[in-house]
Amino acid sequence: MKCRKCGEKASVHMRQHKLALCKEHYLEWVPEQTERFIKKYQMFTPAEKILVAVSGGKDSLGLWDILVRLGYQADGLYLGLGIDGRRSPNGEGIGYSRESQHLSEKFAAQHNLKLHVVDIEKEYGQPIPVLAEISHRGHGKPCAVCGLTKRHEMNRIARDLGYAVLATGHNLDDEAAVLFGNTLNWSSEYLLRQGPVLTEADGLARKVKPLCRFYEREMTAYCVARGIEYIYEECPFAEGSKSIYYKELLNQLETTRPGAKLTFYLRFLEARKSGELFIEKDVERAHLHPCEKCGQPTSATGLCSFCRTMEKVNSVSAS
Amino acid sequence: MVKIILRDKEYQVKPGMTLLSALHKSEIVPESVIATRDGEMILEDEILQDGDVIKLIAVISGGKF
Repeated sequence: MKCRKCGEKASVHMRQHKLALCKEHYLEWVPEQTERFIKKYQMFTPAEKILVAVSGGKDSLGLWDILVRLGYQADGLYLGLGIDGRRSPNGEGIGYSRESQHLSEKFAAQHNLKLHVVDIEKEYGQPIPVLAEISHRGHGKPCAVCGLTKRHEMNRIARDLGYAVLATGHNLDDEAAVLFGNTLNWSSEYLLRQGPVLTEADGLARKVKPLCRFYEREMTAYCVARGIEYIYEECPFAEGSKSIYYKELLNQLETTRPGAKLTFYLRFLEARKSGELFIEKDVERAHLHPCEKCGQPTSATGLCSFCRTMEKVNSVSAS
Repeated sequence: MVKIILRDKEYQVKPGMTLLSALHKSEIVPESVIATRDGEMILEDEILQDGDVIKLIAVISGGKF
């Protein structure tokens, strides 16, 4: 297969676009497309300061690399979750968080970039797996508490440090898997909130997903071609998760119907925008008010979900 | 023979077939991997040669924000 731009041997083939490119032209194409999506969805401007949520994985490091190459003012935020990946209480762990932090710091140092590191255990007394265990949220898995804590902390830090926008490395496979899950359940509220941009509101930083139209495979290819070192292992708690199962199902579909994932996501965005599928009621934002403790917006009365969880953790730890 | 490596698993296929055929034969979903030979990415129409070692990189990973 030949590169469409130069005729040399191609390294990447994107069947959904009927496009094959050599390594050099692929490394040009990905940032060009990212810039196109940033402008199309009005994510941010070159004048705005961006905080990139960095996990040490291919998507977030790839995103940071692309934004900096495009000339944006992008700093990184790494949250130390304290996930070791120990298979049994006395077993040896894989040091998942330690390794992902190391790779994030290495990337920042190599490119002379600013990386904020926040350790959850230092901030809240316990690492994520222990917070989950104490709070009894998530049916024995820490993913619910992990997601809640990350959203809370990313928003807090973006606002505290004066960043205009928070960028995450969600790719199209992530978005399609979430969409698939929410469609299976017809979770209309979640469906209405899904998109490349979550606009800022009182107490909420703007959140953007510049990679939302790239397949996960394309981001892997970008990191391989660019030589970006990323954490290859999955989060040990992601094993057997629904989102990975949905991704695998969608990839089987994609193999027989190239472009199925892209069409699924893009047609959803079009339908959502046009109002063909849903009648948007702006009740969610209208009912938000500040949490009595941290001040971040919440739909619950009194304390937000995060602060309630932490109160429970503190009361159990004290007793 | 051609050796195909994905994480801690190894597969063997006969030389002369395409990468796509080799993946199907090994029951690996092509969309879920990137294939490399000697560190360079190769595509599904590549004819595999005797002695080739193909390293597959799984594209699905967890733990992102």
